Amino acid sequence: MDFILIAMILALLIPIYEAWQDNDIWQKMLAFASIATKTSIMMLVVSVLRDDWPIGVVAVIILSVGNAGLMLLAHLIRRMNEI
Amino acid sequence: MFWPTVLVVEKQHKMIDIYTYVIIALLPLAALILVFQVNPYHALVIRAILGAVASLVYAVLGAADVALTEALVGTMLAITLYVVAVRSSLVMRLGILEEVATEKEQYFTELIANLRQVVNEHHLRLELVSYPNSEALDNALKNKEIHATCTKISPQDSESEHQFIYQTAIRVHHLFEIMQNELTLPTTTLNYINLSHQEDKH
Amino acid sequence: MTNIFSYSLIIIGIIFWFWGTFPLVGNRSVLFKLHSLSVADTLGSMSIVMGLLLQIPREWSLLLLALITLAIWNTVLGYVLAYCSSSGETTQND
Repeated sequence: MDFILIAMILALLIPIYEAWQDNDIWQKMLAFASIATKTSIMMLVVSVLRDDWPIGVVAVIILSVGNAGLMLLAHLIRRMNEI
Repeated sequence: MFWPTVLVVEKQHKMIDIYTYVIIALLPLAALILVFQVNPYHALVIRAILGAVASLVYAVLGAADVALTEALVGTMLAITLYVVAVRSSLVMRLGILEEVATEKEQYFTELIANLRQVVNEHHLRLELVSYPNSEALDNALKNKEIHATCTKISPQDSESEHQFIYQTAIRVHHLFEIMQNELTLPTTTLNYINLSHQEDKH
Repeated sequence: MTNIFSYSLIIIGIIFWFWGTFPLVGNRSVLFKLHSLSVADTLGSMSIVMGLLLQIPREWSLLLLALITLAIWNTVLGYVLAYCSSSGETTQND
């Protein structure tokens, strides 16, 4: 099961690299959306791996709330570009 | 982050898995990327990424409540409030007359585009505020509602052959210095208006 | 048997993740990247969660919630990001 998590970390490194090298704010937001989903799925995997119920609950909450926060942030940044 | 928690690193008393170290190493990596950002909005997005990575690290270390707090407060609430704060504070408000604003003359649009370019290089926004007459414009500058005014020079004043068409008065000294150094447009004059003797400095 | 099936689901999900994330690096437009990301990333994540569900059927309520959240929120998020990024670009070009 360990190699699955290592592969997931490698997949997580790609959007982190993208967020570092790209200068457009929407590309960074895209990378952030990818990272937010990937980290919460990784939390779910860890919770199943260790049979840890609270971490699983927290992972699902972060999955839904993180997406909501992302939409809020996208609207705020769109307003910034308007004026 | 705020609640006292005992970090249970490993429930089974085994060796700590290798992926734990790799995931923890992501945290300083994200922090380094955050430190080297120049644009404040880009830095905020990277801070949100750092928050996501940090909550993953806390969850892997077994602190579910800390991870939840980091995701809710550190990623969502703080970033939203900071975007609102940065957006409303990093702005240059330029007061203009309504007749100038509706004129759509080529010189004027060129001047505004140039101002916007200079101001954007310093990560500020340019906001145009229009006033009905010149008294209201002067009062707004005195009351510190706006940072600068841009008005047309009347033709009898500019009898010389210089092609100055507009005059821009700025009351913030640092902004005036930036404009003096970087604005390369011959159609406007730049004046610094010192208002600091009337009230204490902000 | 179930174990092999769940592992293969998880590995397929990780392959989908890489497939969806690699277009992120490069000079393509935001909408192109968003398309590959929203389709392949969401499908990969759902496949991984399905694999986890086969591993521990006891926690089915939690993992089902994760599946529903992924399916709904990621779709909505794709629409919101596309709307925000495209309308921001048009006002900048004006």
